[in-house]
Amino acid sequence: MNGAINFTYGFSHGVEWGWPIAVYLLLAGISGGALIIALLVRFYKKQHEDTSLLKAASLVSFSTIAFGMVFLVGDLEKPLYFWKILINYNFASVMSIGVMAISVYIPLTLVMCLYLFEKEISAVLAKKAQLLGYFEMVMVLLKKIRPMIEVLSVIFAVIICAYTGFLISVLVRFPILNTAILPALFVVSGLSAGTASAGMVASYFFKEDAHSPDLKTLHTIEWPIMAVEIMLIAMLFVSLLVGNEFQQSTTIAFKSGIYANLFWFGVMGVGFGLPLVLNFALGKHVAHSHAAFYLSGMASVAGVLCLRMFIIYAGQTFGV
Amino acid sequence: MKNDGKRRAFLKVLGLGSVTLGTAGYSVAIEAGKTEKKPHYGMIFDQNKCVGCSDCEVACRKVNEVPQGQVRLYVENKTAPETPMEKKYVRVSCQQCEDAPCVAVCPSKACHRDAKTGIVTMNPDDCIACKYCIVACPYDVRFINHKTKAAENCNFCLNTNMAKGKEPACVESCKYKALVFGDLNDENSYINQILQVKDAVRMKPTFGTKPSLRYIPVVKVGV
Repeated sequence: MNGAINFTYGFSHGVEWGWPIAVYLLLAGISGGALIIALLVRFYKKQHEDTSLLKAASLVSFSTIAFGMVFLVGDLEKPLYFWKILINYNFASVMSIGVMAISVYIPLTLVMCLYLFEKEISAVLAKKAQLLGYFEMVMVLLKKIRPMIEVLSVIFAVIICAYTGFLISVLVRFPILNTAILPALFVVSGLSAGTASAGMVASYFFKEDAHSPDLKTLHTIEWPIMAVEIMLIAMLFVSLLVGNEFQQSTTIAFKSGIYANLFWFGVMGVGFGLPLVLNFALGKHVAHSHAAFYLSGMASVAGVLCLRMFIIYAGQTFGV
Repeated sequence: MKNDGKRRAFLKVLGLGSVTLGTAGYSVAIEAGKTEKKPHYGMIFDQNKCVGCSDCEVACRKVNEVPQGQVRLYVENKTAPETPMEKKYVRVSCQQCEDAPCVAVCPSKACHRDAKTGIVTMNPDDCIACKYCIVACPYDVRFINHKTKAAENCNFCLNTNMAKGKEPACVESCKYKALVFGDLNDENSYINQILQVKDAVRMKPTFGTKPSLRYIPVVKVGV
């Protein structure tokens, strides 16, 4: 008898969480991904010196998450009341848990920046002897706990990437969002965008040679990450295709309309196709050029932005 | 012999333990029985009686000061195009879920369950308008009030009519008695008497949020 009565009218206006949230999800992904990759490379290679890659990754992770906060708070209808979220915690809410994770993660990325840019900061503070004294005193204390801070940074970077997935995967009204695979997809695509960003910043601002051992490592792990990302997207699509009536109806998002274009040209074409073509299809000369390095890096980041936009917009458009 | 003594001691402890635990458990059970049942407010919408006059919408907007162009309650025309003479209307409003996703996701506890009545309602001062509750609601019946800039839902006129000891505005205004409001935990309430004799359904029960609104649909009889 449940089919006997229903309503289809809704009080919301289609996509309630728009592009600022998609951009925030991208920035959080880049921030977490860059820090995870750089620190894992450091642990794996047992590096003790401060590499350009780690410098770039620390700077990227701090600046992107801080910039992301602008979008996150800016999307509120009452942005000036954002502090209410900091005094009223609801432990059942993924958003509250995320806010707690962010309030640990941002200081962690800041401390990572302090380690990596100690010389630069000292040079700036050189004229003010008193400030320099305080700074050096703090750094002596901080340096004692650096190994712990690095491990914590990796853990919280993973939490930040994953929470952005859980944040929207709890929305039961939307079949594309309400899937188990979304947090995993967000971690992996965050790694992909983070790797590209950290590599580009290391090369452009810190003059790391594009063929240096660290960037070669990044270049090697880029492809398995991309393969896993494609696999997860395929799994998401298949789970919708073989799902119930509502899940099946959402697969139209992949097949026609503006969101299908965003998906096939943006996510698949720019995000996966362009880097693959630049690096493998046009010969070694193109693949080793500077232009190809930056272009394929930017394409990866743009592809992840398209993925976040697709998930946010198509996800909220096709509701139950 | 040695072993025997140990076993006896063990049995003694076991016996004493179960006696104390048992009595303690019994007294706890008595305590629980004493506490008064909390109300569980619900509402019935009878599709057989609704004529789609939208008096309820008008009353709701007036009593709860809902801004122009916005609604807490909407009467949707669901008349099938093939049978234009068989009019069908449905009430669209907050379903007052027992396991309310809006309460669960609200990061600032602005969307909460009223302590006394158990009704899902809003504290507009704590709302930061993040719209998480709006996207989390399986029924899509929440909105940001343009005036207060806070999320809002039908709360059975908790702060307006109910505070004055009256029934919700929509129930008061319905000329055809298509709406019944009452305490589902009170066995003798009118709403329970109706539910005992009428077949009623919940909207989208598969979401598992246990909505408190019941719908009595128009069904074909004698075909």
